[in-house]
Amino acid sequence: MAQIRAELLKVRSTRTTLGLALGMIALILLFALLTGLVSKTNGLASPEDQRQLLSLGSVAGIFSALAGVLLVTSEFRFGTIRPTFLFTSQRPRVLAAKLVASLLAGIAFGVIGEGIGFAIGYVILVARGISFTLSGGDVTLLILGTLAATALWAALGVGFGAIVRNQVGAVIGLLAWGFIIDNLLFGLVPSVGRFTPTRAQDALIGLKTDHLLSPAAGGLALLAWVIVLALIGIPLVTRRDVN
Amino acid sequence: MSAVVSAELLSKRFGELTAVADLSFELDAGTITGFLGPNGAGKTTTLRMLLGLAAPSSGRALVFDRTYTQLEHPALRVGAVLEATDFHPGRSGRDHLRTLGLAAGLPDSRADEVLRLVELQDAGERRVKGYSLGMRQRLGLAAALLGDPELLILDEPANGLDPEGVRWLRDFLRAFAAQGRTVLISSHVLAEVAQTVDQVLIINHGRLVVESSLEQLTGRVGGSVRVRSADAAQLQQALSRAQLQTSTSNDHALLVHGATSEQVGEIAFAAGVPVYELLTEGSSLEQIFLELTAEEQP
Repeated sequence: MAQIRAELLKVRSTRTTLGLALGMIALILLFALLTGLVSKTNGLASPEDQRQLLSLGSVAGIFSALAGVLLVTSEFRFGTIRPTFLFTSQRPRVLAAKLVASLLAGIAFGVIGEGIGFAIGYVILVARGISFTLSGGDVTLLILGTLAATALWAALGVGFGAIVRNQVGAVIGLLAWGFIIDNLLFGLVPSVGRFTPTRAQDALIGLKTDHLLSPAAGGLALLAWVIVLALIGIPLVTRRDVN
Repeated sequence: MSAVVSAELLSKRFGELTAVADLSFELDAGTITGFLGPNGAGKTTTLRMLLGLAAPSSGRALVFDRTYTQLEHPALRVGAVLEATDFHPGRSGRDHLRTLGLAAGLPDSRADEVLRLVELQDAGERRVKGYSLGMRQRLGLAAALLGDPELLILDEPANGLDPEGVRWLRDFLRAFAAQGRTVLISSHVLAEVAQTVDQVLIINHGRLVVESSLEQLTGRVGGSVRVRSADAAQLQQALSRAQLQTSTSNDHALLVHGATSEQVGEIAFAAGVPVYELLTEGSSLEQIFLELTAEEQP
């Protein structure tokens, strides 16, 4: 527990997290304005269109993944991993605490991102006089799914960062994975690509794109990614010497 | 009494390169040991193995008779600084200490205590990126002291410290050891630690070259003090009355063997001989250190 508080303080005590949150908010605002203002009224009428508009906050996923990556890799970049491991020589404990802290940070990203994204989307619909066609169940799935997804993304970032360790490499790798590889794989081989983290998140928040998994299966797929990366990353960090 | 720090046939190989080879030594409580050797001799690698950051290829590295990772609350027993720069530049010094203190179950007030101890209390809330190298060194030391440890391990602590800082560190380590605690400090410059340590371990190419007390090492050197005065003959008499051996250099200065510059200055003052020049010849300890570490060249 104390270890988790230490990791949460690491998240809070630099401006990195704030910077990521501001970047996320800026991106959500941009997307919301583009989608909400440019689309024709009949392009925002169907439940699926409205789900897309209101789910803009799900971009928080990739930002919380970055926060998770940085929680590990900045320790290696700035050498704080040395005092960290001197104070807690059981390295799996450190990484487990980082996983828990990242889940909480991820939820915070999700609350901010989805809160802003949903509010703006809703205001746009109301302002343009478009009637709300999503069911209460859809909205609940969208919001809870986003929170679960951002939490899992952050933990996924911790595992990924533990494997890569190099900060620049891990950030670029993660962005390439999220924005390029997942999209390519889903476009070319949807039966495989639907298991990628980004498409699993789409499924989890209830998007109805063709070939996506069910929401529950999407959540499990994302959780599986978290577990697999952690199971690779933790032994690697534990076994490797710290320079 | 069991050793505070011990290495038993400790070795570390990186592929073909052997960084540390069959190193064995023991350090007793209450001692200050200088761990010396040229850059690349294997000092830092040895310290990393003692601190559980690197795994030995063979042999054992123990603190308090256990490997570091077997210690239940390592930060409460061992404090260490390996690099002066191990901080997130965007985090305040105080928050850096708090993150570590939380992990060790220490209250935030302990962070404030060690900040005062290293005289950084006014800079604690500032981000580390605004710290000078000397301030970072002291913040690193503050982190090492958080758990009030019995053993301090410092890697090249004098790097980047101004003379005042070096003096401060020396006094601090002396007081620390006087409480029965143990210090191991590494350096590639003997002169930096000569006034601080009781004993030295000198390694070169990963092997132990010398293990001795500082007096024994100094005894092998026999340094001299060069003094130029108004009346060399009278000063020579005064010095020989004080049982000091002298010789004359070719520019009519006296070389006093086995004495400190303080001794010679005081004798000259007592004899009423004006002194124009007084200096310790060369860094004679340094010379023997260089010879010792050069002998082992392959």
